[in-house]
Amino acid sequence: MNEMHFDPGEDVYNINSEFFNGPFDLLLHLIRKNKMNIMDIRISDITSEYLKYLEKGDGINPVREGDFLMTASTLIYIKSRSLLPRTEQEGQESPEKKLIRTLIEFDKIRKISILLKEMEKREIMLWKREDITEKFENREYDLEEVSSFQLAEIFLNIVSREDGKDVLFLDKKNYSVEKMRDQILSKLESDGFINFNKYAEALDSVEEILVSFFTVLEMVKRKSIIAIQKGLFDTISIWKYEKGEISN
Amino acid sequence: MTDESGFTADTLEKKISLIESILFVSGEPVEPEKLINFLGCESISEFEKIIEKMEEIYKEDGRGLSLNRSGGGIYLSTKPELHDSLNEFFTIKRSSKLTVPSLETLAIVAYREPVTLAEISDLRNVNSTGPVKSLLQKKLIKISGRKRVPGLPLLYSTTKEFLLYFGLDDLTQLPSLEELTELFEDKEQPSLFNK
Repeated sequence: MNEMHFDPGEDVYNINSEFFNGPFDLLLHLIRKNKMNIMDIRISDITSEYLKYLEKGDGINPVREGDFLMTASTLIYIKSRSLLPRTEQEGQESPEKKLIRTLIEFDKIRKISILLKEMEKREIMLWKREDITEKFENREYDLEEVSSFQLAEIFLNIVSREDGKDVLFLDKKNYSVEKMRDQILSKLESDGFINFNKYAEALDSVEEILVSFFTVLEMVKRKSIIAIQKGLFDTISIWKYEKGEISN
Repeated sequence: MTDESGFTADTLEKKISLIESILFVSGEPVEPEKLINFLGCESISEFEKIIEKMEEIYKEDGRGLSLNRSGGGIYLSTKPELHDSLNEFFTIKRSSKLTVPSLETLAIVAYREPVTLAEISDLRNVNSTGPVKSLLQKKLIKISGRKRVPGLPLLYSTTKEFLLYFGLDDLTQLPSLEELTELFEDKEQPSLFNK
């Protein structure tokens, strides 16, 4: 019971399994295998080994085969350059230096990822209250506040849904945020809450939807309403803001 | 602190029972400051003593819970050794949610925040739209603004959920890049690879 629990399917980072997610994973593996210093790589040795791996295709992430080939061509380019007399241009980073720099950066990222993976494993073993509630999918509301970026995405969603209908008129009516605000407030007064998607669908024109959306954003900003959404692309529910209702 | 039933949190035991009940009811980590104020603790060290005592109690074999700190708060969780049994009882599998691309993306955001999608893709050497989207949905990263460069690209940062997910109090608990090199030096840290 005290042993750590490992899922056999999770060993993506296991060094022995020799699966290389991207070209840099393979390069770093070869550098380690040949006990080279990352700052001082013997490109020609690495290149031939790299190509062997590529030829066999073992452990190469098929999704990113193109990236593997791309890096192979960079390696060959560097190797061929080294055979030619130097024509280093001032102020320009040589492809070799660039490769090493990106490789070092990637090595850091890889190490942090391994660390995060370990931390994730450790945390997964600790169950918290909310983990159990996640199970009960039929909860009435899974209220989450949405950011203005998400609101904007949903708005675009509503408008694009209108594309199928050819009954949209562009009329000369002028809509004002003030009027819309009164309209929304009175609807909130009578109904308690608004389902924004339904509300917007019932409106006549894109302009009106647009104005209603701006109004909602403005009202959220002024804290006169709360806009809540269950998940991405779900409807936005709107309530009147009452002081102290939602902290943070 | 007295309420109508005459409960006074004047003894250590009573304070402990009060903290335990608050943590039990609260779904998310409770900020220590809130507890200190509520209990009327004279000093932080008094509060720390209470917490230490609680940790001691939870360490006993007869207890299934443990006291944790992360995301700037205190919360209760189950003990790690109960993981398998809980999986069995609740017939749900709590396992890793993050793929390697997601982990790499998170690593970049955590160490470089705020950072743009282009910067993430550049460092990973592969387009990272997918992992960024999925991390946004999991609320492990958030949009924190726009970078003031041509095109005004969105900037991404880690969230409180990120800290909770990895059991961190704050980002400074992650090892620095120098410490990271030491951590992995020589033998590539076999304990991380070998079971």
